[in-house]
Amino acid sequence: MSRIGVFVCHCGENISRTVDVEQVAKAAGEIPGVAFSCDYKYMCSDPGQTLLKKAVAEHKLDGVLVAACSPRMHEKTFRKAAEAAGLNPYLCEMANIREHCSWVHEDRDMATAKAKDIVKLMVERVRKGKSLAPITVPVTKRALVIGGGIAGIQAALDIADAGHRVVLVEREPSIGGHMAQLSETFPTLDCSQCIMTPKMVDVANHPNITLFTYSEIEKVDGYIGNFQVTVKHKARSVDESKCTGCGICMTKCPKKKIPNEFDQGHGMRPAIYVPFPQAVPNTPVIDRENCTMFQSGKCGVCAKVCGPGAVDYEQQDTFTVEDVGAIVVATGFKLYTIDRKPEGSPIQGYGEFGYGTIPDIIDGMTFERLASASGPTGGKILRPSDGKEPKQVVFIQCVGSRAREKGISYCSKVCCMYTAKHTMLYHHKVHDGQAYVFFMDARTPGKGYDEFWRRAVEEEEAVYIRGMVSRMYQRGDKIVVMGSDIQVGVQVEIEADLVVLATAVQPQDGADLLAQKLGISYDKYNFYSEAHAKLKPVECATAGIYLAGACQGPKDIPDTVSQASAAAAKVMTLFAKDKLERDPVVAKVNEKYCVGCFACKKVCAYGAIEEKEIRDRQGNLVKKVAYVNPGVCGGCGTCQATCPSKSIELDGYTDEQIMAMIEAL
Amino acid sequence: MNAKANKNQVTCIEPDYYQAITEAIRKEAVKILKDETVVGVVGYLPGRRKGTASPALVTTVEEAEKLIFSPACVNNLSVYLTKAKKGVLKQGKVGIVAKGCDMRALAGLMTESQLQREDLFIIGVVCPGVYGFGVERTGTLTEANIARKCRECTVHMPEGADVAAGTHAELADLTPEEAQEMARIEAMPQAERWAFWKEHFSRCIRCMACRQVCPFCYCEQCLCDKNRPQAVESSPRPAGNMAWHLVRAMHLAGRCGGCAECERVCPMDIPLNLLNRRMAQELKELYDFEAGLTPVDKGPLNEYKENDDQSFIK
Repeated sequence: MSRIGVFVCHCGENISRTVDVEQVAKAAGEIPGVAFSCDYKYMCSDPGQTLLKKAVAEHKLDGVLVAACSPRMHEKTFRKAAEAAGLNPYLCEMANIREHCSWVHEDRDMATAKAKDIVKLMVERVRKGKSLAPITVPVTKRALVIGGGIAGIQAALDIADAGHRVVLVEREPSIGGHMAQLSETFPTLDCSQCIMTPKMVDVANHPNITLFTYSEIEKVDGYIGNFQVTVKHKARSVDESKCTGCGICMTKCPKKKIPNEFDQGHGMRPAIYVPFPQAVPNTPVIDRENCTMFQSGKCGVCAKVCGPGAVDYEQQDTFTVEDVGAIVVATGFKLYTIDRKPEGSPIQGYGEFGYGTIPDIIDGMTFERLASASGPTGGKILRPSDGKEPKQVVFIQCVGSRAREKGISYCSKVCCMYTAKHTMLYHHKVHDGQAYVFFMDARTPGKGYDEFWRRAVEEEEAVYIRGMVSRMYQRGDKIVVMGSDIQVGVQVEIEADLVVLATAVQPQDGADLLAQKLGISYDKYNFYSEAHAKLKPVECATAGIYLAGACQGPKDIPDTVSQASAAAAKVMTLFAKDKLERDPVVAKVNEKYCVGCFACKKVCAYGAIEEKEIRDRQGNLVKKVAYVNPGVCGGCGTCQATCPSKSIELDGYTDEQIMAMIEAL
Repeated sequence: MNAKANKNQVTCIEPDYYQAITEAIRKEAVKILKDETVVGVVGYLPGRRKGTASPALVTTVEEAEKLIFSPACVNNLSVYLTKAKKGVLKQGKVGIVAKGCDMRALAGLMTESQLQREDLFIIGVVCPGVYGFGVERTGTLTEANIARKCRECTVHMPEGADVAAGTHAELADLTPEEAQEMARIEAMPQAERWAFWKEHFSRCIRCMACRQVCPFCYCEQCLCDKNRPQAVESSPRPAGNMAWHLVRAMHLAGRCGGCAECERVCPMDIPLNLLNRRMAQELKELYDFEAGLTPVDKGPLNEYKENDDQSFIK
C-alpha cells in the first residue's frame, strides 16, 4: 500500500473562494493509499513548504500531491521541496485546481466536486509514478553564429569575449550585413560604418572566432550541446591563405561594369571584387557568372597580375563539419520590392507604382547608399535616371507593410524612424529641396525617437502628409504622386523628382529552407518563431538554438544588438556547465516489443528518434528498433500516441498512469 | 473506363487463362531459383482437395515446377514476409507471387519499414479475380462465384512488380455488392447503424483470425494482448468485442490495402471489409490518399500540414 500525502492549497482566496478546500482535503484523506492530507493557505510559501517536508518525514510518505495551481507555476517549487525531504522529485505531482477549476467555475458545490475528482485521479498518477533521474548530456563549448550582420557580429563577439570559441558563418563575401550599407543612423545621426567597421575588424582579429565568409549551412545534425553542422565553403576562386588584399586584381580586371549589390545596383564593380572597401575579410571573390575567364576561358588577367599567386580558377566548393553546442541564428532581413510577384505568391507587388519600372522610384536602402559618403555618388543626393539633384522628394511609408491587401499585415518598425532620418539627410545636403512624407502613423517608441521625429517635422522642414498614395506615374522627367491628405480631406498631387519608398522588412530569401535544416519553426512570413513571445524571446522551441535580430521580426539596430547580446548570454548560460541536465520526462522504447515500423520517427517533431540495430552475439542483425535520444526528446508524447503496439512510453506519463487516472473517475 | 480496357472485359474467365499464368509463374520461379537470385519463392501449391490451393514456400526447382495459380489462390501471401512468420526473409532475398491486392500490402509494408524492396523479387499476377466463399470451386470464374472484394477491384494490374504474369482481363458488368452494402449502412439512422455493428460484433468469438491473417498486424505484442495496463478486455464479451473491432479498424485506417483476408477468415461472418473500406473512404475524402498504391515516406495520418482539415475541432 502506498503512503501518499495530499496538500490542498487555498491560494489565498484564489481557490478557496469557489472550492471548499477543507472538504477536498478530507475526501483526499479517504482515498486508499493516502496516508496524510491537509489544507493550507499558501502551500508555496516557506511555512507551506516546511509543512510538506515535515509531513514527508513524519508520515513516511512515498509520494506527494499538491492540489494548487498549474504545474507550470510551481511544479519546480514543490519538487524541490520534496527532494529536500528526501523523496525523488518526480514522485511529487500537482493537481491543478486553480486554472482548471476555481478560476473557471462559479458554483461552489460543483467546483468542489470537480476539485475532488481532479485530486482523485492525480493520486492515481502519483501512485503509479516512478523515480526518475535527470538526464545529463555533454556540452560542446563552441557556438555557431549564422549571419554576419550586426546581430551575428555582436553575438559572436560577446560569446568569444566570454572565452568560448565561435564559428561565424556569412553567406556573402564580407561580414557587415545591412548595417554596413547604411549612411547615418537614427536617432543620433552617427556614421554607421564608423561604428560598424571596428566591430568587423574585432571579429576578424578575435582569437576565439573562426570566420567563414562566402559560406552557407548545408546540413545540421545533432541536438543541444552536440550539434554537427556541415558548412559549405563556396569557391572564392581566390586562395585566402595567399591573398594579401592588395587589390591589384580589382583594378586590372577588364570587366568593370557590373552593378554593385552593395550599392543596390547603382555603383559598378569588377568581376573580381570585394563588396566594399572596408570588407572583412579583405579577400576578393570572383563572380563566376560575370567573369570572362569562367564564361569564355579567355582572360586570366587577375591571375597574371596577382603577386602571391592567390587566384585559383580551379577552386571547388568545400565542406567542413563543425562540432558546436549552441547555434545563434542571425540571418537578418531583405527589403520588399514593389515588383510584380510570381503567380500564386501570397504577397503582391504595386502595379499602381509601376511595379518598379520607374527609375526614380527607389527604396530606402538605395537612398542610404546615395546619402553615404562611400556610396556611388560620393554622398551627393543625385537621382538615378539623369544624375540631377532632386528638388522635390516624396517619401512614402508603409509600402508593403501594414498592407493586408498586399499580403503583409505587420508593421516593419524601422521605417518611421529612417524616413524621418532621410528627410533630415536630404535637408542637410540639398538646402533648397523640399521633402514630403506620406504616412499612416508615426510610430516612434524608443529612447530619443519621438524627439528625433519632431525635429524632422519642426526644425528640418519635412512636410508630413497623413494619407496614402494611390498612384504614381512618370510625366516628362517628373513623377506624379497622387495621394490623399486625410486630415484636411483633400486629394494631393505632387510632381516629384525622386520618390523614396519605405518598403517592408522581410526575412532573407531561403529563411524557410534554413529553418528546415535547423528544425526550428517559422511563421507565415518566414520570420523565425521564438519559444515564447514574452518570456522566451530569444530561444527557439528547439533546444540549443537562439535567435538574434531581424530574422525573428523587424528590428532596429539597438533592439538587434540587445537581442544578440541576450542570445549570447543564453549561450553562455548553456556553456556554464560541463554537462547539461535535462528533465527526464522523455520517451523510452520497449525494445522487446518494438517492431520497427518507425511511425514514431515519422511523427517526431524533434527528430529525437533514431533507428537502432539489435544484434545477437554473433553479430547477426536480429531486428531494428526505435531509439529515443534523451538529449533531443522534447517529451511531447506524440510518439506514444502513434505507436500501434504501445511500445514507446513517456516517463511520467506512462499508459499505466493515464489509464489509472481514467479509471479513477 | 477506356476503350482498351473495355476490350478486355469478358463474361467469364476460362481455366486456360489461369493455366497460362501458372506456366509463367513456374518459368519465372525456376529461373530465379536456378540463378540464385532468390533463396525461395512464396507461392501457391495445389491443395489436397480439388479446387483448393495452399500457400507454400518453395526452395527447389522441383517444387517450383509445381506452383500454380487458380481462382482458389485467395490468400494474401505478403503476410508470410512479416514479423509474424519471420523465418522467411532471414535467409536472403525471396520471390513472392502477388496479386494486385497483395501488392498493396507489400507497398504498405515497405512504407512501414517492414520490408525492403531490394529483398524481394515480385512475380506480379494480372488477376481477374478469385473465388468467393461458399461457392462452387470448379471451372470458369463467373459473376456467380467471384469474391465480393474482386467485384470492385481497381488493381488488376500488379503495379511495381519485377515481372507480370498474365494479360489484362476482367469480368464485365459485376454488381458492386460491397459498395451497395456500404451505401445501405450509410443511409441508416445512427442508432440503427450502431445496432447493426453491435449485432455483428456480439457474435465475435475473439479467435483473432482476422489479426493473424492481416499483413498489417505485424506487431510482436498486440496492444490488445497487453495487460498492464489493459486497453482491451480480452474475453469475448460485448464491450471488449466492440473495443477490439474499433481498434482494429482504426489501426488499419490509411494502411489497409483491401485484400479482405480478415473477412474471408472470419468464422462468424462479420463483414469486416466494410469497416476497412469505410476508413479508406474517409482517408480518400479527407486527404485524397489511397493506401498501398506505392510505397510512401509517410502516410497522411503520420503527417501534420498547416492546411490540414481542422473542421473536426469544434
